[in-house]
Amino acid sequence: MDRRKFLTAAAGGAGSLLLGGCGGSKDTVVIASSLPRTGIAQGQTESIVNGLKMALEESGGEVAGMKLRHQDMDDATAAQGGWDAAKEKDNAREAANDPNVMAFIGPYNSGAAENSMPILNEAGLVQISPACTSVQLTKKVPGDQSGKPDIFRKSGKVTFCRVCPNDFVQGPLSAVFAKEVLGAKRVYVLDDKELYGSGIAGLFIKKCGDLGIEVLGHDSIVASQQNFKTVIATIKGKNPDLLYFGGTTVTKGPQIAIDMKGEGLTCPLMVPDGCYEKSFVDAAGLDTVKAVPCYATVGGFDPSQLKGAGAEFVRKYKEKHGADPEAYAVYGYEAAKVVLEAIKKVGRKDREAIREAVLATKDFDKGALGKWSFDPDGDTTLKVLTVSKVEGWPFKPVRTVSE
Amino acid sequence: MSPGRYWVPALFVLLAAYPFLPVAEPNRGEQFTVLFVYAVLALGLNVVIGYAGLLHLGIAAFFGIGAYTVGILTVPYFPFGQSFLVAATAATLAAAAAGVATTAPVLRLRGDYLALVTLGFGLITLYAIRNLDAITEGTKGMNPIGAGPVPGVAEDADLSGWRLFPGWGVRWYRYPYLYFLALGVLGLVMLFLRNLERSRLGRAWVALREDELAAACTGLNPARLKLAAIAVGAGLAGLAGALYAIALQGTGNPQGFDFTLSMTMVCCVILGGLGNRPGVLLGTLLLMGFDRVATNVLDNLIQEHVGSGGPSYTKVSGWKLMIFGTVLILMMRYRPEGMLPEARHRRELHEEPTKPV
Amino acid sequence: MPELFAQAEAAGFGQFLVTGLVMGSLYALIALGYTMVYGIIELINFAHGDLFMLGAFLAVTHLAWSGLTDPAFAASAPAYLLAWMVAGGIAAAALFCAALNVAADRVVYRPLRASPKLTAIVSAVGVSFVFVNLGLFWKGPSPVKFPDLIPDTNLLASDGLRLTWKDVMVVGVTAPAMLALTLFVRYTPLGKAMRATAQNPTAARLMGVDVDRVVSATFALGGALAGVAAVVYGLYIKAVDFQMGFQNGLYAFTAAVLGGVGNIPGAVVGGLVIGVVGELSKAYLGAKWSEATVFAILIVILVFRPAGLLGARTREKV
Repeated sequence: MDRRKFLTAAAGGAGSLLLGGCGGSKDTVVIASSLPRTGIAQGQTESIVNGLKMALEESGGEVAGMKLRHQDMDDATAAQGGWDAAKEKDNAREAANDPNVMAFIGPYNSGAAENSMPILNEAGLVQISPACTSVQLTKKVPGDQSGKPDIFRKSGKVTFCRVCPNDFVQGPLSAVFAKEVLGAKRVYVLDDKELYGSGIAGLFIKKCGDLGIEVLGHDSIVASQQNFKTVIATIKGKNPDLLYFGGTTVTKGPQIAIDMKGEGLTCPLMVPDGCYEKSFVDAAGLDTVKAVPCYATVGGFDPSQLKGAGAEFVRKYKEKHGADPEAYAVYGYEAAKVVLEAIKKVGRKDREAIREAVLATKDFDKGALGKWSFDPDGDTTLKVLTVSKVEGWPFKPVRTVSE
Repeated sequence: MSPGRYWVPALFVLLAAYPFLPVAEPNRGEQFTVLFVYAVLALGLNVVIGYAGLLHLGIAAFFGIGAYTVGILTVPYFPFGQSFLVAATAATLAAAAAGVATTAPVLRLRGDYLALVTLGFGLITLYAIRNLDAITEGTKGMNPIGAGPVPGVAEDADLSGWRLFPGWGVRWYRYPYLYFLALGVLGLVMLFLRNLERSRLGRAWVALREDELAAACTGLNPARLKLAAIAVGAGLAGLAGALYAIALQGTGNPQGFDFTLSMTMVCCVILGGLGNRPGVLLGTLLLMGFDRVATNVLDNLIQEHVGSGGPSYTKVSGWKLMIFGTVLILMMRYRPEGMLPEARHRRELHEEPTKPV
Repeated sequence: MPELFAQAEAAGFGQFLVTGLVMGSLYALIALGYTMVYGIIELINFAHGDLFMLGAFLAVTHLAWSGLTDPAFAASAPAYLLAWMVAGGIAAAALFCAALNVAADRVVYRPLRASPKLTAIVSAVGVSFVFVNLGLFWKGPSPVKFPDLIPDTNLLASDGLRLTWKDVMVVGVTAPAMLALTLFVRYTPLGKAMRATAQNPTAARLMGVDVDRVVSATFALGGALAGVAAVVYGLYIKAVDFQMGFQNGLYAFTAAVLGGVGNIPGAVVGGLVIGVVGELSKAYLGAKWSEATVFAILIVILVFRPAGLLGARTREKV
């Protein structure tokens, strides 16, 4: 009967899953990364992995006499079309359970980080995110009842750190730039309702209050919506000096710019680092950014501003990939560099020692970002924000703001 | 007779023993836990589509209602602080009630209109979850959700000492508790549905699905039967949602309760064998297992032997939707009754097709 | 909420109505593909939205090949040349979508004609997954810019209400397309055959109608309309991405059902209703509640009119 055939096939499939997996030799060090490699954030994670792999290649495929391997895990599933909480947990456990894994780079989404952090913390495996900027992953927010970030640190040790400045840097400094450079007095704020976008928009609004900038309104869009003509027409009626959008390229940052041009709202548009990429200007079009002044912000520096090792990285990246690196590529590179340096220092496969070495990173200058350290919470001390004018790719840095 | 007679119990025994076997991969247990949860969800949907014949395209809504009920009842910043048993019961009841309340007014719609209404209801629920930040924390998701103890089982029970032989078994995190909880619930749901199928209600559903008019003529009340199916199905979906929230210790991304999940579940049910419990179980384990487990394993193998990175078409995960879609198309073409068809449904498809008039 | 309401009032109800009607006529054009196929073989073609997406991608590729993605060229080229190029894009997308839709029918749906409805629906979902994956490989995950060829200048003298060439273009293409379709179905022999098949396939076959050919023609027509809609959408919205099939397909499907599945004027009315409700709710309730409002209104309407807005009045399908 057919049924028997199916059962056999099913059993075979299940068996290979139960048994399958990877053996690892004793002298291999694995650096695992967990990023949404499929679905909508694919473009950015591609550049992160490019940067990461450059760092690994530079060390010649080995570190401290051990073979080096990169395990590229995907935390997105088809069923969700983007990052998936259960999948991110799986990846964290997979890394935690593989004795060869010495560091976990990722994730990309702050929401995903909340899922992997407790597992990696318990396993004592150091985690370096190249892109998560939500404040609560590392620091307690005044008035917050949820107990974050301590609930992610059950072991009492800090295992999560990030090489990108958090939203406390980006949101508020964007407001400072808006006031000082653009002279904005009345702003309207939109966000994409995602953890990242609404978080950064909230911090922007808060700082506006402190600086005496009037916030005319705040609304959320849905990224699957086709156009925002109606939303922009409404905003135009309020006549703002600046529109701030907390969101990313794939959550329709470019569409906002397009509809601003279409509806004749020509005040500047300001977007955070989720839009700091080539595909933002590709999707918005040069005609759009000519009509609507667009400013994109990125924590740290624009690749073109990097000096020394950073400039070298940019040159090599261009050589290899035939294009200027995206802002995120630098963070992928930096995260891998920090890890490799720590493993080199420790010289053996000892997660706890490597964790300590990573978190003790001080005045690190072997990467591309210049000199910086980790603070006790795992945040970078690089608290500067670069604002660039979007006129094509690469973006033109206008000013670097610091606290 | 029943195709599930021997292999289903055998599968359960195998899964229960799996963590103790030497072949156990450390991470599979947690991945399987989530698969069990989705299997409960699919079995719930099967009650609605397979037993009662109502095409429901919004089952994810009840999954979400279940998860968020547990969230509200257990997270520390709400004053309820209930245990798992209370929360899961409440989640089941809340989802069942939501199912009845949203279906009752639209029962008189015929097939495809009803499908669209259920789809719409699913979307409304999703946006309510996303937008009512004061209750649901919006896109942040509610966490942490403490699993809370089932009486007699400590939440962090460490079963690492339970080894058949030294060197066997795996390193455990939290999962002995959650793994066996989910597997146990799945087993109970299977038993419950088996008995339900054989009950008066189950036979009435068969009559309803085969011919609504004839069923009504024999004195059955179609509306009441449909509502019963929705109540059971939505309740099971709510229970699955409760387990999901507990297994994740949070509700995760609200996008996890969207239309894509509803549709994937419909595919699991139909691919496995509409109306047939063991088939639905197998369909879900294979389809969701492919999405969540197999692509990872394959990608890792490729990475180990070929190297990592490269554009998305060099990775299995980049082809995921393509493979998924092709499997659906081929299955429907060559085996539309599903992998393990229900006997009646199978006859229907393989006898001389009678054209609907 | 009251604050948003006041803001919306300031910007003007009329403006939202214009945007809503324009969006609505786009949904209607896509919905026609759904409703015609449904009318004949009772298949909810879940892949239709993604077919629309692939049509838009083809149009981008075609227009880039004609050099229109270069704004300097687009600005300097004479209007008649642009019009011809756009018309070429529309023709290419329509042909492409028609061919793809017919191919999908031949390969996937036709062998399932005698199967239960669910079987075909699941196949359609499978086709939709394949299309999305193809779109992802084709243009990648980020949105793709569609050439901005039609000026945004206001045609009205008034300061508040804006009616641009883009709005006129959308209605100018969609309305004739819908009218042509209606006339086609009503007066041509093939259209008559379609109506006959929709009413009763067996009887139509007995009367000598080649049912397979009629179904293929229906898929071709529906696909072509999706292709036309894709280009018009691209010119109006100005950016396309691989996920756009989902929302547009969903709204179009909803429009078809709202109007009464299988009913051509119904799909148009349904599309317009959804477009207007979608835009008005964005303005008055906030963009994040737009989808929820559309579906809430849909459910309410169906509760009171279970066969859709026009479903009860017109018996005839197609």
